[in-house]
Amino acid sequence: MNSLLKCLGAFALLGLSSLAQAFDLQQLSDQLAKPDVIHGSFIQEKHLRALPQPLTSKGSFVLAKNHGLLWLLKTPLQQDYRISDKGIARRDANGWQMLPNKSAGAEQNRLFLAVLQGDSSGLQRDFELSLSGDAQNWKLTLTPRSMLLKQVFNQINIDGGELVHSIELLETQGDRTLLRMQDSTSAQPLSDAEQHDFAE
Amino acid sequence: MTLPSERMLPRLFLILLLAVLALAGWQWRGDTPLSANLMELVPGTAPDALELRAEQRMQEPLNREMLVLVGHKDRQQAIAMAQKLGEQWQASGVFEKVQWNLQADLPALRTQLLQGRLAMLSAADRQQLIEHPDAFIQQRVQALFDPFTGFSLVPSQDDWLGLTGRIQNSQPQHGSVQLDIGSGALVADADGKSWVMLRARTVGNAFDMNLPLQVADLLQHSREEAARSDVQLLAASGLLYAASGQRQAAREMTWVGGGATVGILLLLLLAFRRWRVLLAFVPVLVGMLFGAVACVALFGHMHVMTLVLGSSLIGVAVDYPLHYLSKSWSLKPWHSWPALRLTLPGLTLSLITSCIGYLALAWTPFPALTQIAVFSAAGLVGAYLSAVCLLPALLKGVDLRPAQWPMRIAEKLLELRESLLKYLRTPVLLALLIAFCVGGLLQLQSKNDIRQWVGTPQQLTDEAQTIARITGYQPTSQFFLVCATNQQELLERLTALSERLDQLVNLEKLQGYLSLNQLVSQPSEQRKVREALSKLPQFWQPLLELGVPAAALQAELATLQALPTEDIDAALAGPLAEPYRTLWLGPTDDGVAAMVSLQGLNNPTLLRVQALDLPGVELVDRLGELNQVFAATQISAAELKLASCVLIVLVLILPFGLGGALRIVSLPLLAALCSLASLGWLGQPLTLFSLFGLLLVTAISVDYAILMREQIGGAAASLLGTLLAAVTTWLSFGLLAVSSTPAVSNFGLSVSLGLAFSFILAPWAGRQVHAAPITEPAA
Repeated sequence: MNSLLKCLGAFALLGLSSLAQAFDLQQLSDQLAKPDVIHGSFIQEKHLRALPQPLTSKGSFVLAKNHGLLWLLKTPLQQDYRISDKGIARRDANGWQMLPNKSAGAEQNRLFLAVLQGDSSGLQRDFELSLSGDAQNWKLTLTPRSMLLKQVFNQINIDGGELVHSIELLETQGDRTLLRMQDSTSAQPLSDAEQHDFAE
Repeated sequence: MTLPSERMLPRLFLILLLAVLALAGWQWRGDTPLSANLMELVPGTAPDALELRAEQRMQEPLNREMLVLVGHKDRQQAIAMAQKLGEQWQASGVFEKVQWNLQADLPALRTQLLQGRLAMLSAADRQQLIEHPDAFIQQRVQALFDPFTGFSLVPSQDDWLGLTGRIQNSQPQHGSVQLDIGSGALVADADGKSWVMLRARTVGNAFDMNLPLQVADLLQHSREEAARSDVQLLAASGLLYAASGQRQAAREMTWVGGGATVGILLLLLLAFRRWRVLLAFVPVLVGMLFGAVACVALFGHMHVMTLVLGSSLIGVAVDYPLHYLSKSWSLKPWHSWPALRLTLPGLTLSLITSCIGYLALAWTPFPALTQIAVFSAAGLVGAYLSAVCLLPALLKGVDLRPAQWPMRIAEKLLELRESLLKYLRTPVLLALLIAFCVGGLLQLQSKNDIRQWVGTPQQLTDEAQTIARITGYQPTSQFFLVCATNQQELLERLTALSERLDQLVNLEKLQGYLSLNQLVSQPSEQRKVREALSKLPQFWQPLLELGVPAAALQAELATLQALPTEDIDAALAGPLAEPYRTLWLGPTDDGVAAMVSLQGLNNPTLLRVQALDLPGVELVDRLGELNQVFAATQISAAELKLASCVLIVLVLILPFGLGGALRIVSLPLLAALCSLASLGWLGQPLTLFSLFGLLLVTAISVDYAILMREQIGGAAASLLGTLLAAVTTWLSFGLLAVSSTPAVSNFGLSVSLGLAFSFILAPWAGRQVHAAPITEPAA
């Protein structure tokens, strides 16, 4: 079960929400269905309970409607991932390799792509959503509904202003993952290389 | 003119009858001694106690569990319906456990994974750790940053080396069923619908007489309820087959038994035109009683299939009273006791020959036929006794004035035969008959399959196949049984077998398998992992660079080194071991044993080959073995048939002499041959059951030959007696031919054919010289 995917879903749900006048999830969901491509960079901090320093990684991402997500990890090691309705793929020397479809991951994937297409019912089914603040400075809290999810997450927090700023996952075991999204823009179309990556 | 002994007989018989009734009452006091277990009917091909135990273990879920798929276009609606039905079923009291969602006990899972870090590591992961520790560490570093590896049950600080994550990922996946994380339901998507898995385990098993019907009713009710919300249910369970089998047996018993009864009673009324003649049915009832009591006394219970086939006894049992009732056409006036005295030798011979025929069935290796043989033989004795001892007293003083039309039919038939013989002499007819036989026998095809024993409704098989397609879960009845002297050797042998099976999986000859070595590795491998771990500090620099404290890694290494070598019992304790538990047979007389279950098999011979040179490994293929036994039994059945004929000849030599006896026995044999040929001409396969049917016909039709040869009351009266006996017997056996169970229907068809030929051939039985005057010339 992949928690990050869920958050990316939430991120997609809420990204570029500056035009939203009221924080109605349905309206947000409608708006989210609009942008075709979002480019941006990320910093992921894994705060493990036993480590004084977080495990920090950086990279960029491309979220494309009807295609999926490219997740390009740059430091401290380089690794490209692609998530589409076919599943998760990882790039190695021979090109994209599909990862074995683990049942929980596949389900997660399906859910995530549903959210990408502006279907907020997916998130609302599994989480209690509560929205606070205003359009310039808001916070969305996701609390798991099912027993199964409750055993994994305490809570998921998403903060944003004009754009989504960060996603924070609080795991029941005490670990915490903070994902900071920067320079998100919907102005740029898919490059040829990116299109090729999705198509392959 | 009643002899003193004939006054005593009815009283003695009544005492016996009361005793048997009391015994029956005692037998049926508590639970109904009826069984519907199909496996009780087929030969025990596994004399090995261990194999038997393994088989029972593999079959248990089939007989106790039901798998239902709840399908709707909308996943949420399907889940909601599964939940609703699950709650209803749980409340019904029929099920011990109903499960529609996964209630994972995560703390227990974590403990098991942490404890099993050495023992549960897959072969590929072990190999990497031992041979490429640098790559092993590199992969771990990558996984720590990888946002998509999936979540690990155990937090990183408890498992820096990531062994638990590897174990989690290497567990075999079951088909195409996915976990719906929100609800915990197991869902498969197919045919434009989401199918939620609902599993239920009953309190009893499929052989409990009432349970299958309860489950089938509950399912039917749920189907209707689901249909109202546009939800479709697909179900698979051995219980449903049992329920369908029971309903079918009950229905056919009513049809065959009821049809035969009504037909025979009608025939009696039409022929003899006296209400009291219906008392001729008393021997039938007594016969059924004796048969059931003997069956329960010998086997502890009676199978429903015995009842279905046994209900055909009605037609044979009624022959005894018919023997002397039919003398009313020639004996005028007819009195019950003198008529009996006249026919007693024939009756007794007929009882002996029929019993020989039935009991020959008892020597086949089929428990089903043994039961039927015992039921029928005891039933015949009961019918004979009541016909000889009781019925004449009940019919005393009845003035029989039978209708003349049956007599005219018999006379017409004899005339017809005479005129036929004028044109074609007997040798010519025989030559024609033999030509007919040869032609038919050449076209006869043999076919034997266990599936003939069950008349499985198409809908049940279709649903089971759809479920297998949707879930990708295709259990097979074949499995491997692996024995060894100790656990180390057992796991070695399982590993050797796994390597072969993996190849088959790669070639797509097998979908998958489940074996204990996928859960726990052999002790020697666990030691190797421990040794490899002690060398790991040389390679773990990349982890230190991430900031993982050296002390934490050292501490983890110390914990891992201290983990005890896990044996099979320990490995089976945790929640991950659930699917493996049935596979472990534990200690045996000469060591330990386990099973390997198989999925989606399409070539059993390929599997058998795999086990050939592996010591201690054996493929258990019950169905395949049974089909072989069927074929082998066909030959022994033919031998039995000949043996029973020899025995009957020996019995008949005394009254008829060797020539007469041979002639009497050769007619039923010829009739059987004609029936076989007819099956060939009709394009019907020869099954074991047709053969058993013919075995029986030999015994019954010896009767007709005796009747015709004795010719008490003249040829026409004897032919009429034979005709009546044949018609009543046919009424009960012939009706079996309509059964939807192929085995039963085959049996009915061959008996029907056999009876027809026996009747046609009976007049060639010749004539015994009697002291009594003979009114008509012999044929």
